[in-house]
Amino acid sequence: MNKEPIRLRVNGRVHELSVPPNKLLLEVLRDDLGLTGTKCGCDDSSCGACTVLVNGEPQMSCLMLAASYQDEEITTIEGLAKNGELDPLQTGFCEEGGAQCGFCTPGMILTCKSYLEKNPDPTEQELREALSGNLCRCTGYTQILASIRRAIELAREGRKVEVSKL
Amino acid sequence: MSATSPIGARVPMIDSVDKVTGRGKYTDDLTLPGTLVGKILHSPHAHARILSIDTTAAERLPGVKAVATGKDTPVKYGILPIGHDETIFAVDKVRYIGDNVAAVAADTAEIAEGALGLIKVDYEVLPAHLDPERSMQAESDFIHEDKPHNIEKEYHHHFGDVEVGFAKADYVRDDRFDCAEVTHAALEPHSTLANFDPDGSLTVWSSTQVPYYLMKTLAATLEMPEEKVRVIKPLIGGGFGGKSEVIPLELAAAVLARRAGAPVKITYSREEVAYAHRGRPRTIVELKTGVKRDGRLTAVEARIIQDGGAYCSYGVVTILYSGQLLNAMYDIPNVMFDGYRVLTNKPACGAMRGHGTVNARFAFETQLDMIAAVLGIDPAEIRRRNLLKAPCRTINGLRVLSYGYPECLERVIERSEWRAKRRKLPFGKGIGMAGSHYVSGAANPIIRSLMPHTTVELTLGRDGAVTLYTGAAEIGQGSDTVQVQIAAAELGVDWKQVKLVAADTARTPIDLGSYSSRVTFMAGNATLDAARQARERLLAAAGLALGAESENLVWKDGVFARRNNPRPSIPFAEACRLACGAEESLKFAGTYSPPPEAQGGKYRGAGVGPSPAYSYSAQVAEVTVDVETGQVTVERIIAAHDCGKAINPLTVEGQVEGSVWMGLGQAVQEEMVWEKGRLMNPGLLEYRTASTLESPPIEPILVESNDPEGPFGAKEAGEGSLAATLPAVVNAIYDAVGVWITSLPVTPEKVLRALEEEKRRTSL
Amino acid sequence: MTLPDFELLRPTSLEEALAALERCGPDAQVIAGGTDLIPSMKQRLFTPRVLVDLKRLRELDYICSEEDGGLGIGALTKISALAESPVVVERFPVLHEAAKTVASPLLRNLGTLGGNLCLDTRCLYYNQSEFWRASLGYCLKKDGTRCHVAPGGQFCWAAFSGDTAPALLALDARVQLAGPRGARELSLAEFYVNDGVVRVAKAPGELVTGIRIPAASAGWCGVYKKYRIRQSIDYPLAGVAAVMRKTTDGTCLEARVALTGVNPAPKLVNAAVLLRGRRYDATLAEEVAHEAIRTGKPLRTSASTPEYRRHILRVFVRRAIEQVWRNGH
Ligand SMILES: Cc1cc2nc3c(=O)[nH]c(=O)nc-3n(C[C@H](O)[C@H](O)[C@H](O)COP(=O)(O)OP(=O)(O)OC[C@H]3O[C@@H](n4cnc5c(N)ncnc54)[C@H](O)[C@@H]3O)c2cc1C
Ligand code: SF4
Ligand code: FES
Ligand code: FES
Repeated sequence: MNKEPIRLRVNGRVHELSVPPNKLLLEVLRDDLGLTGTKCGCDDSSCGACTVLVNGEPQMSCLMLAASYQDEEITTIEGLAKNGELDPLQTGFCEEGGAQCGFCTPGMILTCKSYLEKNPDPTEQELREALSGNLCRCTGYTQILASIRRAIELAREGRKVEVSKL
Repeated sequence: MSATSPIGARVPMIDSVDKVTGRGKYTDDLTLPGTLVGKILHSPHAHARILSIDTTAAERLPGVKAVATGKDTPVKYGILPIGHDETIFAVDKVRYIGDNVAAVAADTAEIAEGALGLIKVDYEVLPAHLDPERSMQAESDFIHEDKPHNIEKEYHHHFGDVEVGFAKADYVRDDRFDCAEVTHAALEPHSTLANFDPDGSLTVWSSTQVPYYLMKTLAATLEMPEEKVRVIKPLIGGGFGGKSEVIPLELAAAVLARRAGAPVKITYSREEVAYAHRGRPRTIVELKTGVKRDGRLTAVEARIIQDGGAYCSYGVVTILYSGQLLNAMYDIPNVMFDGYRVLTNKPACGAMRGHGTVNARFAFETQLDMIAAVLGIDPAEIRRRNLLKAPCRTINGLRVLSYGYPECLERVIERSEWRAKRRKLPFGKGIGMAGSHYVSGAANPIIRSLMPHTTVELTLGRDGAVTLYTGAAEIGQGSDTVQVQIAAAELGVDWKQVKLVAADTARTPIDLGSYSSRVTFMAGNATLDAARQARERLLAAAGLALGAESENLVWKDGVFARRNNPRPSIPFAEACRLACGAEESLKFAGTYSPPPEAQGGKYRGAGVGPSPAYSYSAQVAEVTVDVETGQVTVERIIAAHDCGKAINPLTVEGQVEGSVWMGLGQAVQEEMVWEKGRLMNPGLLEYRTASTLESPPIEPILVESNDPEGPFGAKEAGEGSLAATLPAVVNAIYDAVGVWITSLPVTPEKVLRALEEEKRRTSL
Repeated sequence: MTLPDFELLRPTSLEEALAALERCGPDAQVIAGGTDLIPSMKQRLFTPRVLVDLKRLRELDYICSEEDGGLGIGALTKISALAESPVVVERFPVLHEAAKTVASPLLRNLGTLGGNLCLDTRCLYYNQSEFWRASLGYCLKKDGTRCHVAPGGQFCWAAFSGDTAPALLALDARVQLAGPRGARELSLAEFYVNDGVVRVAKAPGELVTGIRIPAASAGWCGVYKKYRIRQSIDYPLAGVAAVMRKTTDGTCLEARVALTGVNPAPKLVNAAVLLRGRRYDATLAEEVAHEAIRTGKPLRTSASTPEYRRHILRVFVRRAIEQVWRNGH
C-alpha cells in the first residue's frame, strides 16, 4: 500500500516518517522508531500493554492510526526517565515488586503517571479504578498497588534515584 | 557470611530497571537486518486427513521468501521421550482446529497473510472426538493410530488396601468434581526469531522456559548437530508453564529461516497462543474418601480423567501428578488412583502452574470440608487431625523432610480470626479454608540421564569480578535475582557486585529449565556449590598470604583476616588476585542432582511426584454471595506459604500473591469455552483474567520451615499456593450460603442452581 | 494482526466530512475513537476502502447545557469526558453511571459518544478472526448464509452492547444526524432497529452529530446496572437503565426503564408506565421486572447463558426501580 509522509512527536522529538495509512501507532513506535518498550499483548484491544500518553492522557496505541495522531504529544515509557533519573513510579515498581515479568509494566506505569498527576494522593479503590484498563497476569495487582504507594512516598520526599543506582 | 547478608533481603529484581524503563528486550522486540515475517497456516477442522497441499500460488506471490509444509519436516518430537507425537507441520492428519499445516516467510506481515490464503489444502474430514468420557469409548478414527480408544495413558495405583480402609471408616462419601479447562494467558504472546549463520549454525531467540530442551528439539527436528544450535532466552513476559516445552512456532521459524536464507520472526496472535495452549486440562475427579468419626482419614480412592487435547505434551506427567500428589499433604493410610489421560480433537493441554495437582487438590480439599460439615468438625480441626508426622515417607514413596503445613494452618487461622468468623458471619457472607502443596523440582529429569539437573559456573576475575553463568530461565519469577543473592551471600559480597549471564545455550551450562518450580532449589543449590568452592579457594589464598590455615580465617566487613587478629587483612579483590595467580580468572562449576533417597519408589509411574522438598500452603478466603444473582465476591484471601526460607521475601510474596490470584481466576471466572472443537473465547476480552476491580487484597504470610537440603533452607514458592485458593473459595461459599459447588468455574448460574436445589431439598 | 488497506481522510469540518462521505459512497466508513472499528477491521468484519477520520471535527466535541435546561452532547465527546462532566453527574445521573461502566478507563479516553451509539452489534460467532469465522463457514451477519444462534431463521440476533444508549433511551434523548440531504433528529427508539445487521436507521452518508436530552428529563433519579463477568474491560452481558421523576413524598410521576446487551437494539420496557402515580411498592417493582423479561430476549450471543441473562435482567430491573424509587436525588 502507498506510504504517506507523517510527522510524529514522540518523547519530545519530532520524527518525519513515511508509513501506510493502516499502520497503528503501536507498530510505528516499535517497528519504525525502535521504541519497543510499548508492548503488544493482544489483538482485541483488551490488555492495555500498549498504553502510551497522548497529551498526557493514557491511550491504547493498538487502536490509534499513526497518521491520525500527528499533532499530538506522545510519551512512551522510554520518555519517562529524565536526565538519567528514574521517575518515582519506576523506582517504586522496582523496589516493591510491581514488575514481575514486566510485560504489563510500561502500560501500568504510564496509566498511573497520568492519573497521579490529577490525583496525587488516591485511595486504594481510586487506584484500582484508574488501573482497571491494564491487565497483569503475574502479580495479582497487590505489589503493583504497593509500588504505586511507594512511588507516592518517594515523590513526596522528593527522593531521586539515578537509573544506574538501583 | 557478612553482617549484611542478602539472604532474606527484599532485593529488587536485577532486571527490574530494564523492565520499568522499557529498555529490556523481549523476543518480539528483537530484529536483525532483513528479518522476514513468518505466519502459520492452521487447520480449520478438528479432525481431518490431509489429501493434498498446493503451495505454488503462495510461492509465486511477490515478497514471499519461503513456504514450508509437513513433508519437509517429518521428524517427530515431544517434550516427553514417551510422547513424541508431534511434527512441526501436520504430515497426514490435522488433529484440532488450529493445528499447524504450513508456514510462510515474507517481506511483510500483509504479504505473509496473503500467501497463507493462497495455500490450497484438501481435507477429508473425520469424525472428531471432543468429550473425554466419550472419546475413551471410541472404537474407530483414533486420533493417533497407536493410541487405541484415544487413551494416551492410564495408571492404576494402589497403596495400602482401600477396601480395608473403607471398611474401617465410619463415614464414606463419593463426589464428582468437574473443573473446566484454563490457560496460562501470559501477557506476552509467544515469539521466536531464528537466524542461520553462513556456516550453517542456527541461533534462535525465543520466549521459552526451557532453552536446553528447545536446543535439543531444534537439532533433532531440523536434523542438525546440537553444537550447531544456539538458543537464547531474552526477557519473557510470563510463562506459567505455557512456554515450558517446545512450541510449534519455534521450530517453524527455524525451518523458514533455513529455507529463506534470512532471519525469520514469528509472533503469535492471541488466538494462536490459545491454539498452542498447553494449559490445564478439563479434569473430572471422582473422589471417594473414608474417615473415622473423629475425621481421621482411612482411605482415598480417586478416578481422574483429564481431557488432554490432541497431543501428549506433558500429559503423562500431568495425570501422574494428579494421583501421586494426593499424598504428601496428609497422612492417608490407603490410597487408590485410576488416572486416564485422554486424547481429544482440541489443542494439547500441558503444564500449567501447579501442574496436575490443582484440580485433584480442589476436589480433595472441598470434599474434606464436606466431610467435616457432616461430622460437625471444624475444617481447621479436621486438617489438624490428619497431618503428616514429618520427616516421613508417604505410602507411595514420597520423602517429606520439612513440613511447614501445620504452621501455615495456625497462621491463617489466627490472621483470619477463624474462630470468630466461621459459621458466625451473616447469611451470604462466609469464610473458607484449604491447603495445598507442590514439588520443589522433580527429583527425576524428563530425559533420564546421569547428568546433573543443573550446573552453574561462577568465575572470579583477578579484579574481583564475580560472574555467574546459569542456564536457568528467568521468566519473571525472580530466579536470576535469587541466584545472585545466593552467590553474593556465600562470597560475602554485595549482590550488586555479582554479574549474571543466563539462558544462552552457547555460553551457559546446562539447566533443564523453568518448570515444576525447580530453579531456586536446584540452580540455587548449584550456585551455592560453586560459590562455596570459590570461597574455599579465596580463603586458601588469603590464608597463604596471611600465614594462617583457612579455618582460622574470618571473612567480615569485606576483608579476610585472621580470626583473632584483624590486621593485616585482605580485601575481596586482593584475595581474588592472589587466588588467580597466573590465571586471568578462575572458574568453579557447581552442580545439583537430587539425592537418590528423594527419587521415589520403583513401581510404574513412580518417577513423577518425588521431589527433594515440598512447599505447603494454607489459605483462608472470605466471600460475599448475592443469593439473588448468585454472584460471588471474594473479599480477601490470606495465604500462608511454607517456602522453606524466603531468600527474597519481596519476590516470594509476589509469587504467592500471583499464584493465589491465578487460582482465584480459575475458581470464579476463567474458562476455555468449547463448541464442537472450536474455542469460543480465544482472546483476552472473552477469556477473562481478572482486572484490578474484582481482584481482592491478598495477604501473604511466609512460613520458614528451613528445609535441610534447600539452599539456605529454601523451597518452592511459585506454584504451590495456587491450588488451595480454589477450594478455599468454594468452602467459603458453603459457609456463606450452605451449598457446595463442585464444578469450576463457580459461575453465578451454578450458585443459583445449587441454591434452588438446596431449597427444594429442605422443603421436602 | 494487520489491518486491511484503506485510504485515510482526515477532514477538519463536518461539511468536509459529509462531502467526503458522499463522494466515496458505500466504500467509506467513519472512524471516531476507533475502539470498536479497529479491532473489527483486524478481524475483517469491516474492510472499507476509505476511512473518514472524524477526530479533527472539534465542533462535535462539546457538552452544552441549553437555555431550556436540556443538554446537548456532541458525537465526538469522549466517553471519559461524559463520565466526568459535572452537569451530567448532577442532572443526568443515569448517564453518568452508564458512561463510567463503558469498557475501561483507557478505552473511555479514546471512545466517543457517537461511536458508542453506533456500536456494531455483538455475537460470539461474529466477533472472531477471519480464520475463526471461515472455519465455521461464516454467518449471515457477515460473509455467510446461516445464523449459528438461531439456525433455522434468516434473522441476526447479535446483541447491541453499548452502555450509554439505554441511559439515553431512558432519558428520552434524541439523536441528531447530518447527511447529504441536511440534518434531522430521531428519537433513539426510532434510531435503533431491532435487527443485528441493520442496527440503526442511518441513511448512507449520514453522520451522528450529537444527541439532545430534553429539559424534561433533567434531575430525574437514575441508576444503571450492568452485568459483566469481569468488572472492567467487559461489554454488558445485560444492562438496565432506570430513571424516575418523583414528588417530594416519593410518588412516582414518571419512570422509564431501558435494557441493553440482550436484543439487537436497546429497548424501553413499556411496563414502566405501571409505576406512574404510585408510591413505593416492592411488588409493583417486581411486576415491572417480570414484564421486562418479555422485552429482553437474550440468545446465545455471549459468554453468559440466555437463561441467566434473563434472570439477572429481572433482578436488575427490580433493583434499579427500587433504588430510584427509594433514594432521593
Ligand atoms: C476491550 C473492549 C471493551 C469494550 N467494552 C465496552 C463496554 O463495556 N461498553 C460499551 O458501550 N462499549 C465498549 N467497547 C466499545 C467502545 O470502546 C465504545 O463503545 C466506544 O464508545 C466506541 O466509540 P469509538 O469512538 O471508539 O467508536 P468507533 O470504533 O470509532 O466507531 C464505532 C462504529 O460507529 C461508527 N461511528 C463512529 N462515530 C460515528 C458518528 N459520529 N456517526 C456515525 N457513525 C459513527 C463507526 O463507523 C463504527 O462503525 C469496548 C471496546 C473494547 C475494545
Ligand atoms: S446472531 Fe447469528 S447471524 Fe447474527 S452474528 Fe450471531 S451467528 Fe451471526
Ligand atoms: S495490545 Fe492489548 S490493548 Fe493494545
Ligand atoms: S508483571 Fe507480568 S503481566 Fe504484569
